[in-house]
Amino acid sequence: MCYYSIVMTEKEIITISEAAEILGVSIDTLRRWDKSGKLKPVKTSGAGYRLYSQSQIELFLNDLLSTANDWVHKNTEIPSELYCANSAVFQTRLSRMQDVLSESKELNLIFPLIVAVAGEIGNNSFDHNLGNWPDTPGIFFGYDTHKRYIILADRGLGILATLKRVKPELDSDQKALEVAFTEILSGRAPESRGNGLKFVRKIVAENSIGLVFRTGDAKLILTKDSDVLDIRQSSDPFRGCLALITF
Amino acid sequence: MKIELKKFGTTLISRQNGREAFAAFQPQLTALGKNENLELDFDGVITFAPSWGDEFLSPLLKLYGSRLILINTNNLSVKATLELLEKINQESFKRAV
Repeated sequence: MCYYSIVMTEKEIITISEAAEILGVSIDTLRRWDKSGKLKPVKTSGAGYRLYSQSQIELFLNDLLSTANDWVHKNTEIPSELYCANSAVFQTRLSRMQDVLSESKELNLIFPLIVAVAGEIGNNSFDHNLGNWPDTPGIFFGYDTHKRYIILADRGLGILATLKRVKPELDSDQKALEVAFTEILSGRAPESRGNGLKFVRKIVAENSIGLVFRTGDAKLILTKDSDVLDIRQSSDPFRGCLALITF
Repeated sequence: MKIELKKFGTTLISRQNGREAFAAFQPQLTALGKNENLELDFDGVITFAPSWGDEFLSPLLKLYGSRLILINTNNLSVKATLELLEKINQESFKRAV
């Protein structure tokens, strides 16, 4: 805290309403976050107003994985810029990410694959939970092009529950995750079922892209050249899905 | 008949959008001659994913088979998606050389 007060210029100091605007939350939410310790102001003005620093807000936004985890586990409030209530919003933001990634010379050839992988995972959430969202519909979609990762998460039914509709014999999250990433399901009844996760597996296996995918109590780790699926049991299960894509 | 896919967008990713594009495309298909080829040009498409492709290309492949010709398929996401769709449909797309 002292460090901040010494090095921070007045230009970096922002008011609670400016911080709320950047984060896409209400001022009341920021007051709650202060009380709970989730995000505390760097100082208080003489008149008692909460003041934040620009860099602190940027850092907070960058802590995407813990924000996504908190949302999936506890349904905590998330900044509106990380939340896509429907697939149209997701499509718009994915196109924006595509524009950003296309500017990287290093990713010149593979950026369409990264966007396609994120697109398949995000749309899977919408396609398989439509009309069945247990509480909060929509997905978490955040990325950091400098740190090179993308996070997608949903509070949906999870892979096991949605796959059981076409394969009732499935009885565990691990098995469901394996089927989702390996078996080509060409029969379309009783629902229009994508083969998007098989595509994701192929892309990750052939390129310098990594994936951690969690659903229920199962966790899949995929890397380049991974022929065998590494599926583990996770110690802190949750409903829905969470994907971390690194590149 | 030649169709430029970029007219449907440069990020072709979701089932819903693929379905909408296919429906919007139907009136144009009525003008296709009985023995005429249907050429789909991928030039300008940046990201192409299987969900969109399955809704748009799979029915066209079933309808037109070898009369469906794909052009400018060098983009990596186009290549990878076409390979998966061929597996799903157990049929190959004809690509222009």
